[in-house]
Amino acid sequence: MSLKRITKELNDLGRDPPTSCSAGPVGDDLYHWQASIMGPGDSPYAGGVFFLSIHFPTDYPFKPPKISFTTKIYHPNINANGNICLDILKDQWSPALTISKVLLSICSLLTDANPDDPLVPEIAHIYKTDRAKYEATAKEWTKKYAV
Amino acid sequence: MSPRPEYVSDSDSGLDVFSECHSFEEPSSTNIEILSDDSEFDFSSGDYSEEEDARIENATSELESGSLLKGSKSGKLEPLGPPKLNYGCLTTDQIYQIMLSRLKALEPVLNRTPEDIIVLLQKFGWNEERLLECWTDDDNGVLISCGLKPKDDIKCERGIKEVRDFVCPICCESGQTEAFSLECGHEYCLDCHRHYIQDKLGEGKIITCMSCPLALRNHDIDVLTGTNSSQKLMLSSMKSFIQKHSSHYKWCPFVDCNYVIQIGNISCLSEFPRFHASPYVICDNMHKFCFRCSLESHDPGDCKVADQWVKTAQVESANLNWVLKNTKECPKCGVNIEKNGGCNHMTCKSCLFEFCWICERQWADHGGSYFECTRFKKEDKNDPQESKSTLRKYTFYYRLFSEHENSAKLDWKLGQTVEQKVRALQETTGLSWIETQFLPESIRVLIEGRTTLKWSFPVAFYSDASHNLTKIFVDNQLLLVTAVEDLSQLLQIKEPRKIVEKKLEFFNKSQFVKSRERALIECGRDLLCKGICCPQK
Repeated sequence: MSLKRITKELNDLGRDPPTSCSAGPVGDDLYHWQASIMGPGDSPYAGGVFFLSIHFPTDYPFKPPKISFTTKIYHPNINANGNICLDILKDQWSPALTISKVLLSICSLLTDANPDDPLVPEIAHIYKTDRAKYEATAKEWTKKYAV
Repeated sequence: MSPRPEYVSDSDSGLDVFSECHSFEEPSSTNIEILSDDSEFDFSSGDYSEEEDARIENATSELESGSLLKGSKSGKLEPLGPPKLNYGCLTTDQIYQIMLSRLKALEPVLNRTPEDIIVLLQKFGWNEERLLECWTDDDNGVLISCGLKPKDDIKCERGIKEVRDFVCPICCESGQTEAFSLECGHEYCLDCHRHYIQDKLGEGKIITCMSCPLALRNHDIDVLTGTNSSQKLMLSSMKSFIQKHSSHYKWCPFVDCNYVIQIGNISCLSEFPRFHASPYVICDNMHKFCFRCSLESHDPGDCKVADQWVKTAQVESANLNWVLKNTKECPKCGVNIEKNGGCNHMTCKSCLFEFCWICERQWADHGGSYFECTRFKKEDKNDPQESKSTLRKYTFYYRLFSEHENSAKLDWKLGQTVEQKVRALQETTGLSWIETQFLPESIRVLIEGRTTLKWSFPVAFYSDASHNLTKIFVDNQLLLVTAVEDLSQLLQIKEPRKIVEKKLEFFNKSQFVKSRERALIECGRDLLCKGICCPQK
């Protein structure tokens, strides 16, 4: 069942690709994808291209896909291993969501971080107390790792 | 039952005196008496008479009535002690009924169907006050936020409908003929709905439409996944109900026990700390636990001692665990020995050396007052580092604690097989069921005794070792250790005929454990009340 759904999502992505993201299988394995996100223009990540890896569980879409950044990124909700703290990837997941919707959510997370529910408390602290410093560091990291 | 005129007037304290004196049946117990400071144990084996025999006869009824916990000395202490707890043991069904009755009470206020109220309460975590507050503020808003009313207009009827050549957006299977949707019109196939609901049943939260916040009612859940699925959801929301009302209700913390204890007079719970006592409750599976901290019975320590001990143990146990692996070397031949049951009297299979599992010394040395397993020996004075000796002291007590914990676990396993033993006893000896009940009762006493013993080590650890009362406490520990080990050894007997022969011994030894346990608890409470044992140090 999950294979049919994943194939459908892949076709939909090909037919109507979302702006600023792309995704597709890494090799022959349809359960393992790679995705890329362009840093949103109104964020310190602008100009960078961030890669993510996507693993579909066998009971997809009833269980959320496992998504993590493979490009290093300075963000209060993304840690050094690339793990993302996003509600729809955990308890708020719904089978009606798709990879394309999830990628768009990650894009908006890049624009609007959620420092009140941080994965990296140090970055969240800087985000809240010294926004300029946060933006400078994020820009630096983008330049260094994502360009 | 034969009459006991001399005790009739004396009510329950009489019963206890009787139970205490008959346990001194064995001449060897005189040793123990000398050590004891307790004037009430002023019986010597000499005045053992026919009258005593008659009392022992009556032990059966005493054992079976299970009149423990009363405390012989409580006659004079009772007015000073903590108040009596009023509690009941409930099954999950009974809790469910309580939930339903609360729901019924809300019906006239909210004027909604019970199904809707279930959803409302799930959303509000069974907090009726907050629900009513929000409801009076903005009932429409509450309905929308709980998914009981669509935000926009109703698009279609809720329920299963027939469709033609339907492609489910979830599984992408085509050619389906049936779909389900709520008023929002988000149609998905029945299989996907079932899969989705099954996954969510255990969470105890509202199950919403897969695309919007509209809630599925229990009826919808049953229609989709078959009868009684919503029951499962109710069971899981019971957890949040009990969590919300945790001042009144607590799950029994024992593994696989589904009983819930309900306290009637919660106001008296605050009285307990003053007396350094803990509000113990016993569920219908005979699991005894503390209602305040949900730990097993941790007498003679109070909740503070137990809490501190558990916290320290969490920090230290990682370091100590590898030291306290399950095996020990035989003190004589060095072969590795695993203790997988029974008492602490070990016999090495390889060299036949008999030793005590705790102190690893020859067992024969343990006769009477030589038994020193619970004493912490002061280190030599040439160890100047204070912290190192504290750690050693801790290691020593932690080791004792975990030894007895392991033994208690093994006893617990022994208890699981007792039904079998009882049946064998009935079959081979023709005893009636009631006559064989001394066996399970003895095991229960043994486990309780061990638990008390186990928790007495934290008390000893936090106590000022130089104080006289601490010394008395340690002496009492020794007595309980001896009593418990004796009983444990007795319980190793497997042959039904022998068990019956020793029935009297079972009574006596159990009673002795009980009385020693009581004495130790009293003594420990004394230490706490007088501030000799203070865990803050």
